[in-house]
Amino acid sequence: MSVSREEVLRIAQLAELDVDDQTLPTLADQMSRILDYVAQLSAVPANGTVKVFVPGPDAIRFRADEVTPSGLAFGPDEFAPDFKEGFFVVPKLGQFE
Amino acid sequence: MSDAKAVADRLVKAKRLNALLTPPKDLRKSLVTQDAAARPTGVLYGMPVAVKDNICTLEFTTSCGSRILEGYRSPYEATAVAKLKAAGALIAGKTNCDEFAMGSSTEHSAYGRVLHPLDKTRVPGGSSGGSAALVGAGAVPAALGSETGGSVRQPAAFCGVVGIKPTYGRVSRYGLVAFGSSLDQIGVFGRSVHDAARVLSVISGRDPRDATCEDRDPLRLPTVPESLQGFVIGLPREYFPPELDPAVRRACDRAIRMMKELGAAVRDVSLPHTPYAVPTYYVIAPAEASSNLARYDGVRYGPRFNGATDLRGLYRATRGQGFGAEVRRRILIGTYVLSAGYYDAYYRRAQQMRALIAQDFRNVFDRGVDLLFTPTVPTPAFKAGEKLADPIAMYMSDIFTVTANLAGLPAISLPIGRVKGLPIGGQLIGQAFLEDEMIEAAYALERVVPATDEA
Repeated sequence: MSVSREEVLRIAQLAELDVDDQTLPTLADQMSRILDYVAQLSAVPANGTVKVFVPGPDAIRFRADEVTPSGLAFGPDEFAPDFKEGFFVVPKLGQFE
Repeated sequence: MSDAKAVADRLVKAKRLNALLTPPKDLRKSLVTQDAAARPTGVLYGMPVAVKDNICTLEFTTSCGSRILEGYRSPYEATAVAKLKAAGALIAGKTNCDEFAMGSSTEHSAYGRVLHPLDKTRVPGGSSGGSAALVGAGAVPAALGSETGGSVRQPAAFCGVVGIKPTYGRVSRYGLVAFGSSLDQIGVFGRSVHDAARVLSVISGRDPRDATCEDRDPLRLPTVPESLQGFVIGLPREYFPPELDPAVRRACDRAIRMMKELGAAVRDVSLPHTPYAVPTYYVIAPAEASSNLARYDGVRYGPRFNGATDLRGLYRATRGQGFGAEVRRRILIGTYVLSAGYYDAYYRRAQQMRALIAQDFRNVFDRGVDLLFTPTVPTPAFKAGEKLADPIAMYMSDIFTVTANLAGLPAISLPIGRVKGLPIGGQLIGQAFLEDEMIEAAYALERVVPATDEA
């Protein structure tokens, strides 16, 4: 199985990732090889009865539903470029500097 | 204060390895402050512990070895780091790593490759290569790393140090930057089993901030045993293939002989789904990564790349320029295997295979085997650049380590010999939450195995 350049561009669009023309051929080639390699999984007969394995606790423990301090070492006003009246100020669309 | 200065001096001396991302000036200043604030009653009082750059700290920036988080300062710290500080340890800077922990050689860092401490033409392994190299060079007695597919054990084996990957859920992941959330776990490096184990004991235990962290007390350290009497150690035949490096095989045979001499019963066992572990991993890990890394969009974190005229353009430019080649590749693979039409063929199939791999381990442990012994990596440290053009060759370096991550089991790598001066690692895989048994056996093996002798 091989992934075409068009397909790489489509996937890149889904992933919100710019791919430049220079790296496209290598990327398509490497993705094809990786997908060929992992395709050996389909050689194993599908078994609908296999239960998905997820490590970790069997049940999720809930914390008490209480308001607690955020625990931040410094407030958002210190790390945000601009912070006014409790809101992060972001550039207007079309005005990226 | 002189202690903090000496710690900083040792780290700065190892600068040629490019293992530390923290500038010397910041490091010195912070170590002095930390030293003054450290609790003298803590069990790790004064012990410098370097921390991989994908674990959040208040003292230093957290860039994950990526341009997209260059200069990022986290407003909170990881639970593991907070526990280290509470025990009196000094956070000895942030270590270089493969970008977002994706890689097996620490060549995929945006801040340059890390050099192997014994041979600068070789790689230290990865992705926690900076942590492994610093411990290997004797700059720090212990360091934190993270594991998704072997990123602690593989570099530990390459650098001739001890690396422990705990059971999934043993250590809180709060403050560990997410890569593959069902696989990720913070691990530790140490010069000796004891150094690594006591750091692990401090960082382990319940954490209300991480729902995947088990509600258990911190790990209690076992004592060093007199013998391995009563231990049944399994040798999975799939981990000793004909193409295994002959020196690695010799070192393993020697370690196995020594475990028998210590009284262990050794048994051949089989984990039949092992050949599918790497392909399974390279579906599940990228799938989870593509989702986890969606948050880096140039708006919420790190630098923003300019020139875009609309919001999606901003996302694409930032992500396209901010991520390195390996991360981009994995995001694309992950997006592909999760996309409509391919989900069943890849992702669902990989999830089923993961269950079968975990079942293989349960079958062996149910038949009375306590621990498994295997080589950690099929070869000693390889040359820099050797596997860069071929992602699959690079992925195969994790062939003996990914299984423990897929099954959520604890595992330890310890040095068991050398070939032409390069360290070889042996691995013990334990049962879930029985790290104490695994560490006990490692203590016994460490005492007898000639770790720096040619195999």
